[in-house]
Amino acid sequence: MAVGTIVWLGSEVMFFAGLFAIYFTLRSTSPELWEFETNRLNFPFALGNTLILVASSFTCQFGVFAAERMQARSTGWKPTQWGAAEWFFLTYAMGAIFVAGQIFEYATLVSEGISLSSNAYGSAFYLTTGFHGIHVTAGLFAFLFVIGRIFSVQKRNFGHREATSAIVVSYYWHFVDVVWIGLFLVIYVLK
Amino acid sequence: MRVNSVMLWILTVFFALVAVLYGVWTAIEYGHLEWVGTIAIALCGVLTGFVAFYLDRVYAAQGGELPEDRLDSNIDDGDAELGFFSPWSWWPIMVAASLTLFMLGLAAGFWMSFIAVGILVISLVGWVYEYYRGLFAR
Repeated sequence: MAVGTIVWLGSEVMFFAGLFAIYFTLRSTSPELWEFETNRLNFPFALGNTLILVASSFTCQFGVFAAERMQARSTGWKPTQWGAAEWFFLTYAMGAIFVAGQIFEYATLVSEGISLSSNAYGSAFYLTTGFHGIHVTAGLFAFLFVIGRIFSVQKRNFGHREATSAIVVSYYWHFVDVVWIGLFLVIYVLK
Repeated sequence: MRVNSVMLWILTVFFALVAVLYGVWTAIEYGHLEWVGTIAIALCGVLTGFVAFYLDRVYAAQGGELPEDRLDSNIDDGDAELGFFSPWSWWPIMVAASLTLFMLGLAAGFWMSFIAVGILVISLVGWVYEYYRGLFAR
């Protein structure tokens, strides 16, 4: 199951490689447009959002560690005593904050006149970040499914099947996180 | 794994000797050391040395021989864990059908997509929790 997930993520890498190719091609054909539009992005806001998403990858991994020691639920309030469910709830919250931040950023940019159909920059920006946002949202649903699985078995019956689904969802989450780091560097840093 | 690491250690020694030989030979032939080849050959030795060291550590930590290193083992002794797959589930067909309806809605009439999302949610929940309810609840 882990191998199948990795193979599928390989195909996802190819998909995002295509989106990066679109971005770089349009950028190379209209450099003045890029120079003008990229200066209108809110860099500190995007950096904060990025840090939240990167941190969520770490909380997700702590959830995996809990699942690997077959600990479904917490044994106390301290984070060292948390189980997979608590860590995944925290990861879910951070991912949700990231998506909400994306929507806020989109709304601001649209109000400033950058939209999907405004020009080549708008198309490239919303295509790349939008498809990434859809992936993050799908990951949030996957977290809900895994949390649901953890809660639908009795605590002592938490086993390899639940742990495996937690691990493969974490693979996906890390992948989405790494893609965002790439997108962030290309869109917000490499102006 | 023992054999793998021994072979890589032999390669490491070989590359170390060849690097020295190559350096000395080119120094005699041209009057100075040929840096590119000497460094490349020496780094090949470092590479094989790293892998050999790593395999030694893994071998020491696993506490025994792997099935592929034993003459009396069977093929299935080395099988990795494949996970759990349902032999007869209808839910994947439901998921595919609802996605088909969703795409059809995008092409023909958007109202169909709303219905498709509803069916998709039911199909996904049914698929993910197929072995968590009824007779399979635990």
